[in-house]
Amino acid sequence: MKKAEPKHKRLISFTVNGDDIEVEISASDRLIDVLRNKLRLTGTKEGCGIGECGACTVLMDGAPVNSCLVPAFQAEGSVIETVEGLDASGKLHPLQEAFVEHTAIQCGYCTPGMLMSALALLREHPEPTREEITRAISGNLCRCTGYHQIIAAIEDASAKMKTTE
Amino acid sequence: MTKTEWVGADVIRIDAKDKVRGVLKYMSDLSFPNMIYGAVLRSKHPHALIKKINTKRAKELDGVVTVLTHEDVPGLNGFGIAIPDQPVLCSDKVRYMGDAIALVGAESKEIAERALELIEVEYQPLPVVCDPEQAMLSSSPKVHETGNLHNHVKIERGNVEAAFKEAQVVVENTYFTPRQMHAFLEPESGVAAIDEDKNITIWCGGQHPYRDQLQVARALGMNPRKIRIVNTPTGGAFGGKDEITVQIHLALLVLHTGRPAKIVLSREESVIAGMKRHPMRIHMKTAAAADGTILANEARVVSDTGAYASLGGPVIGFAIEHSCGAYRVENVKLEGFCVYTNNGVAGAFRGFGANQVTFAVETQLDMIAEKLGMDKLEIRKRNALRSGDIAALGHQMEASVGLLRTLEAAENSRLWQLKEEFKAKPSAPHKKRGIGIACSFQGCGLGKGLPDYGAASVELLPNGQFAIGVSCPEIGQGNTTAFAQMAADYIRCSVDDIVVLSGDTGHTLDSGTSTASRSIYTGGNALKHAVQNLHNAISPIAAEILCVPEDDISFGHGKIVSKSCPDKILSFKDIAEYITARGLSIKSEGHFIWPVSETELEGYVGIPHLLYSYITQIALVEVNTLTGETEVIEAVSVPDPGKAINPQGVEGQSEGGVVMGMGYALTEDTIIKEGMTLTRNFSTYILPTSLDMPCKIETIIAEELEPSGPFGAKGIGEAVCVPISPAITNAIHDAVKVWIKQIPATPERVYTALKSREVS
Ligand code: FES
Ligand code: FES
Repeated sequence: MKKAEPKHKRLISFTVNGDDIEVEISASDRLIDVLRNKLRLTGTKEGCGIGECGACTVLMDGAPVNSCLVPAFQAEGSVIETVEGLDASGKLHPLQEAFVEHTAIQCGYCTPGMLMSALALLREHPEPTREEITRAISGNLCRCTGYHQIIAAIEDASAKMKTTE
Repeated sequence: MTKTEWVGADVIRIDAKDKVRGVLKYMSDLSFPNMIYGAVLRSKHPHALIKKINTKRAKELDGVVTVLTHEDVPGLNGFGIAIPDQPVLCSDKVRYMGDAIALVGAESKEIAERALELIEVEYQPLPVVCDPEQAMLSSSPKVHETGNLHNHVKIERGNVEAAFKEAQVVVENTYFTPRQMHAFLEPESGVAAIDEDKNITIWCGGQHPYRDQLQVARALGMNPRKIRIVNTPTGGAFGGKDEITVQIHLALLVLHTGRPAKIVLSREESVIAGMKRHPMRIHMKTAAAADGTILANEARVVSDTGAYASLGGPVIGFAIEHSCGAYRVENVKLEGFCVYTNNGVAGAFRGFGANQVTFAVETQLDMIAEKLGMDKLEIRKRNALRSGDIAALGHQMEASVGLLRTLEAAENSRLWQLKEEFKAKPSAPHKKRGIGIACSFQGCGLGKGLPDYGAASVELLPNGQFAIGVSCPEIGQGNTTAFAQMAADYIRCSVDDIVVLSGDTGHTLDSGTSTASRSIYTGGNALKHAVQNLHNAISPIAAEILCVPEDDISFGHGKIVSKSCPDKILSFKDIAEYITARGLSIKSEGHFIWPVSETELEGYVGIPHLLYSYITQIALVEVNTLTGETEVIEAVSVPDPGKAINPQGVEGQSEGGVVMGMGYALTEDTIIKEGMTLTRNFSTYILPTSLDMPCKIETIIAEELEPSGPFGAKGIGEAVCVPISPAITNAIHDAVKVWIKQIPATPERVYTALKSREVS
């Protein structure tokens, strides 16, 4: 009987949405596999697996990354944020609220990735121009909405976050 | 009609909150203990005989649970919406690169994929059939034994030859359209489970759970009742999940192993194996009188359905039905061919054959207007179908016709009114601007000769809320929210008191497909009947509680009132508590059968339609004369959906449709050479990103209410992506005076056309 090759397992620890996590990974695991399959954080979606659609976007130490391209071991010691962390306070994040209000969602498959790209943008530029918004989400494909309602939602969230500061 | 509280309002999508929180479970998010992972062995050749399949080495790999071939398909080894000509697992022949030959179930995805490499298949390659015109010749190798011509449609009315003679202008051209990909962000995927009694549940994105159920049952040789299909939620479909994707493979895995199973196609596998829009070659000859009246239209349309039929037959019929545009044309000679090749597979795709022919006919119309020195909008107004007119197939426009209304609204739009100003300011001297306009109509429903029906249920829940069930899946289009709005207005309760069940053969009655711009009209009408029955069931109980006669009961604003004694009031919760205490329940059903056109076209199914949505779209483009690049700067989209149940939702459809139609016009094409797919991912198949979309898309909803529709609604999911493509190519002509006859109008094509114009 032919044996499957033994896998190299190792433990890594990192923070996900504020929780300290220790998890066993194998060499071929990607960050998205760890999030979706090991931690059951299935909010992060896989649309292409090769860095071309942005559905898998999460924040790694504050920067948006395609989690399908990040080898899991690289997450060691990092701070990861996923869509599930956005409403950790029990209240929708202003971005989430704005997406809901502007119908910036149709099938919703691109939504988690869009939200994370938008979050990174608003942290860096709390009052982005339309141009900056368009650029910030240009790596996130959406086949349903035509992007307008998404951009309007991000603009609105930025305005709301400013007034509540 | 009484004033509506929810219909016509921008009610927030009922699934929005779960979607933004990332907690909504799509099918590939589901997992079960002891679950195996499936992988599919696809063909290595676009056309070949299979001589031998040896799975021995794969079966021996540690961690492999099962390896299945055609011998393990207990029922019919075939599927296909129209005819089941696509094998579940091929036995003797492969016809495209996506053909499935074997199925592995393993402890992990990685093991399943490794096992695929250990399966040995001996092929005898056959000549590849890649040109649909040549495929029709008797000398061509056959993709199917029955011959390569799958369907042929021919419609003639009047006398085109005579009209061509008397006409002031005749234009004649050949057009080519691309193999557009649906490119839903969620690839084909699902999970399945089986219980001790061999009842199977399949959670898989799809567009018609009951037809999936039938196709799975047929392949398994099982009673459909033992199979439950759940299609909601689906992460985008656009027609590309109308056909079977992974449902039967999932069912085979659970049947043979007794364990739950999951299959998720990779993007590349999805591109190679999945459905596409039919590429078409359209030869069109159109004649008009001096005043712009279209006198005749002749079209010959050849459609490449690839290796299997799926809905290729109905698509060519639909294309022919729409090949004269939404215009009055008395003399027509229309012929369509749907042909098998080894070029992937084509099937349903938003627009369903209208996109291709609309590109052709709307370009023809602009050429005629140009020759006659007529305004582009004027010529469309002159020929626009009006209610009662006879359309191209000789059928009467019996239902609401909103084309003129959309044209008038388009004419009054800011972009059209100020078009000369917009055109006068290109962003650089080597860039030229142009404006284009195009119209279309879109048959709603499955059309004459195909059973088209819907059913819905309404149940009063113990807490006084209502559960409504419609099986047309939520694929992103927002139908579940619209159903909730319509139900709330029919019941006369708050939309917040409606719970929607969707896309599940276990919990919803068969309402047909989420395709053909039909789910709002069908579901709404079925709900209307269901609520009438619900009210009829509640009335006697309310009468009993209030001690009034039954005909004294009326329903209004979340309450049940005695007409004669208005202070006698009950809430739905009162009724719910009353019946629950007595061990009773109230659940009613409504059924609805689509009305059809009176015109019978002998020998054809699916045409003509009775009901159409209408649309006019305008594009402002800027063409870079040095590179041939085209940018869409602004667009106006004027749909007639009948009543817009949720205007914000219609706007979302409209904007998404504009951008999808823009991709079709400018960048999108799945290139297949000698049966091999070359554009296998999103770096070579170019989808519009946020940087490409028009800076502004103005949607003006022009409602032409349809008396037979729920609250006057028709459907709008498809039409929104259709005329924008020729509006863009017509705008390119307006800008740089070259006619685009082949889309996508890539920079190379536009540049070449510009160069040859300079030469000539
Ligand atoms: S799944 Fe990671 S970019 Fe597409
Ligand atoms: S909402 Fe469907 S892909 Fe964006």
